Amino acid sequence: MIERLRQILVKEFIHLFRDKHARFSLIVPPLLQMLIFGYAATYEVNRVSTAVLDFDHSPESREFLERFSASSRFQVRYILQNESQITSLLDHRRVVLVLQIQPGFAELLRKGRTAPVQAVLDGTDSNTALIAAGYINQIATRFAQDYQLQLADRLRPALMTFAPRIELQERPWYNANLEGRWFFVPGVIGTVLLVTVITLTAFAVVREREIGTLEQLMVTPISPAELIVGKTLPFLLVGLATVIITAIAGTLWFQVPFRGNVFVLLLGTTLFLSSALGVGLLISTICWTQQQSFSLAFFYVTPAIMLSGFGYPIASMPHALQLITYLDPLRFYLVVLRGTFIKGVGLGVLWPQMLAMTLLGSGALTLATLRFHKTLD
Amino acid sequence: MTRSNGNSVEVENLVKRFGDFTAVDRISFQTRTGEVFGFLGPNGSGKSTTIRILCGLLRPTSGRAIVAGYDVVQSPELIRRNIGYMSQKFSLYADLTVFENLRFYAGMYGVPAAELRGRIDWALEMAGLRGRESNLTGTLAGGWKQRLALGCAVLHRPPIVFLDEPTSGVDPLSRRLFWELIQRMSGDGVTIFVTTHYMDEAEYCNRLALMNGGKLIALGTPTELKLGSIQGWLLLLECDRLGEAIERLRRFDGVRDVAVFGNALHLVVSDAAAAPAIRAALEADAISVTSLQPIRPSLEDAFVALTTGRGANCPSELPS
Amino acid sequence: MSLRRLLAVSRKEVFQVLRDFRSLLIVLLMPLMLMTVLGYGINLDTRHIRVFAFDREGSPASQDLLKRFESSEYFDLVATVTDYRALAAALDDGRCQLAIVIPHDFSARLHDGRPVNVQALVDGSDANTAELAIGYAQGVLGAYGATVQADYLRKSNAPTVNPVLSVEVRTWFNEDLESKNFIVPGVAAIVMAVIGVLLTSLTIAREWERGTMEQLISTPVTALEIVIGKLLPYFALGMLDTAVCAAIAVWWFEVPFRGSLATLAVGSGIYLTAILGLGFWISVVTKNQLAASQIGLVATFLPSFLLSGFTFPIEQMPLGVQPFTYVIAARYYIVILKSVFLRGSGLGALAGPLIALVAYALIMVFLAKRSFHKSLA
Repeated sequence: MIERLRQILVKEFIHLFRDKHARFSLIVPPLLQMLIFGYAATYEVNRVSTAVLDFDHSPESREFLERFSASSRFQVRYILQNESQITSLLDHRRVVLVLQIQPGFAELLRKGRTAPVQAVLDGTDSNTALIAAGYINQIATRFAQDYQLQLADRLRPALMTFAPRIELQERPWYNANLEGRWFFVPGVIGTVLLVTVITLTAFAVVREREIGTLEQLMVTPISPAELIVGKTLPFLLVGLATVIITAIAGTLWFQVPFRGNVFVLLLGTTLFLSSALGVGLLISTICWTQQQSFSLAFFYVTPAIMLSGFGYPIASMPHALQLITYLDPLRFYLVVLRGTFIKGVGLGVLWPQMLAMTLLGSGALTLATLRFHKTLD
Repeated sequence: MTRSNGNSVEVENLVKRFGDFTAVDRISFQTRTGEVFGFLGPNGSGKSTTIRILCGLLRPTSGRAIVAGYDVVQSPELIRRNIGYMSQKFSLYADLTVFENLRFYAGMYGVPAAELRGRIDWALEMAGLRGRESNLTGTLAGGWKQRLALGCAVLHRPPIVFLDEPTSGVDPLSRRLFWELIQRMSGDGVTIFVTTHYMDEAEYCNRLALMNGGKLIALGTPTELKLGSIQGWLLLLECDRLGEAIERLRRFDGVRDVAVFGNALHLVVSDAAAAPAIRAALEADAISVTSLQPIRPSLEDAFVALTTGRGANCPSELPS
Repeated sequence: MSLRRLLAVSRKEVFQVLRDFRSLLIVLLMPLMLMTVLGYGINLDTRHIRVFAFDREGSPASQDLLKRFESSEYFDLVATVTDYRALAAALDDGRCQLAIVIPHDFSARLHDGRPVNVQALVDGSDANTAELAIGYAQGVLGAYGATVQADYLRKSNAPTVNPVLSVEVRTWFNEDLESKNFIVPGVAAIVMAVIGVLLTSLTIAREWERGTMEQLISTPVTALEIVIGKLLPYFALGMLDTAVCAAIAVWWFEVPFRGSLATLAVGSGIYLTAILGLGFWISVVTKNQLAASQIGLVATFLPSFLLSGFTFPIEQMPLGVQPFTYVIAARYYIVILKSVFLRGSGLGALAGPLIALVAYALIMVFLAKRSFHKSLA
């Protein structure tokens, strides 16, 4: 039994590492993906291309627009002369935002009346538009407050020093500068790991079936459990190595902190990998061709990423989809990754995720083992 | 479980259906210890299906099969320890070396550590692969691959070996070497169960089972089959104007079958004494007969006769 | 080039596609599944932020402030706690994303007209949500502060000058800023990336693996006939899937479709050609299903998710990463899809991405053909 397991492991490792290309493809693509995607994944909104159209030409309107040029959120690219230019700029995706100030802007402000500013936003990317709208409002509110203070100061200087002010003193925990990258880098590690492992294991059994070696293997006394374990362990080790390498790269390159315990991360990774491998092998045992298993692997991986909370908040999903996310091991693993990297929490906090992944993993592996008959029927 | 005979295969009324299609139709036979048991039949006749049932790869629809003393339905795992199997499709790991493949299958079959080195050496010797231990299996030529596959299948000294068309696509010299190996193993008391559709290979078998359309239509030694397949006498006729000759002979009372064999005709007649009358009848039609004589039927004759249903399968002695 | 031979290759391919029922089913279900998950699952409009409150005063004024959080659509006031430890624990295990701490002298300071600081402890591990939460909390607090301030000024009989700036945001193309309108049109690009590269590269690699390619090459059929003949059925399948995607987007998700079907068809056809050419090239170079799938994955699936502008806007990526997006065909196609759906752009406005895709397709077909010739030599 031990001998059979040992031999099947030796064989699987040879398959994985004999080929120079295979060795290369186990290490380099995950690393490369993490580096590129670590940068690409961001919801921060900066440098929004902006055009301004000022019909008022007053000191007030200039100061107002100045605040947009000064902000890193916006980048004023075009100073327009007439309204007809707006459509063409938006149609050709040259700008996302057009700010328009009507004549009489300063006049209204000085009288304490409502002064309108028009902002035309390209809503194609709803997220960017939404956040940009928020920033526009922030700048406008701040401008109005400052303007009001200046006015009040001129009228009744003594009174304002005692006016009650309520301020929000924000204290971001775990990530004082609110670096968006800290959220995405652990997420990318989990996503890349899932994709690599599922696609590798989805091929594991079906490839042997297609080549014909599986039939030869099935007439030996090997038990389904031995075969599954033998097929799983090498990928588990490859997965653990991938996590260690990408985690080191993430902390060194992206300066994401690692505050937790390495062993908690490795335990979580092992449990996660067992679920991912279980699903991969299950796919492999029910398919007859590599093409089928690959299609099925994609059928699984895509929603698994989308519903994991990797980039799209679970709390904003409809209830039915939220329930489905409980079947997604990546959902739990991302909590473990972010917990150990950024929050530095341990098993005391992460045990529910660990438990969930254990259940999903043992379920998937059991199903894969049951599904794997040593018969061709 | 009665372990009646560790070296034998016993099959009783075995049936395998795939949907509406009956691949194996109530076949029964028994093998004897140490014999080379050949399974002969056209493609799709149910040979491979039968062999896969016996190895526990397919479950029979009904009937019974005992291999090495174990029932294929109840204890396939025990059977797997006692058999070697080489599938039709070549299936060793191409990216493993010769030695690694042998080592892998030795591990799968649980060859004891003490015997390991010896068994692998034996297999290398047998396959003629000494000195090529570290070659990648994928780079070997067909004959070597075949012998290596056999080596892998018998590393654990199984008492029964199943070979499913082991020599398809292998050059004649390698085929002969391969059959020498089979004969040697059989000499050591191993029961060999082999499917083939090469007639010359079938001659090497101790006994042959002939399958057609899922049915077992004949069973016996090659000689028994050759003789038994033909009821009556087989005559070789060499003459000119073959077409007219066939026409004439079909109408001749006492000629039961006419078949073209190369430039000549094979006639099946009820009585060898009819030969002069046949010659006379042909010559009366101005067909010149070069030669007309009784011959021993070949296995191919038997095969054709049996699968086309133009002969009976009860063995009968040829009067000498 | 002989049409008869080309069609013979195609016919064989069609039979193989139709006979592999499972793969076909997956290919046809893929758009449905992706549309459902992505259309419903991706909602970047963050609401229901989990808030814990620690009210150290417990006065009517502080309760009043908390009520404002409770009634905000952005916040769910989950619990009120009585010490910091409970807050820390809740932030650690993620039960709480934002904690509001009201100081013990809250109403006294308000009464005396002294500044008050309300603390917001925010889980910075998800920086995007954290920033939004801070912004929303500032809004709630600002509104409360304005009320308090107005009361104070009224009591002091101060002359009130209240200049207000009203920003009129008009959103073009996606008027209600719905995430689904931004996400759903792009799904077709992902679906086709999978079908195009992965399925074609697998079917062709399979011919090499099984040796049927040698057989095919030995016939008088030319390289170009094989390339086109093999790709034609997948082209049809891809176009069918585009139509399915567009139909679901318009009739189920009610995404506006403002452009013309002809523009969509032209763009999709060119994109598919590019993607199929890439798939063919990969398979000719690897000749191995496992390797083809791994490369296809790294080259298309993840990039078309993360680098194409599908969810993460390209303009927001660091300048060092942006050049990588130019080699992703999906980048151009996503612009076309979103523009045709939401902007109603015609061929003229889309000339840029269309020309890029044509060049991409030509390069891919050229590379595929050249590698194929080489592999025959």
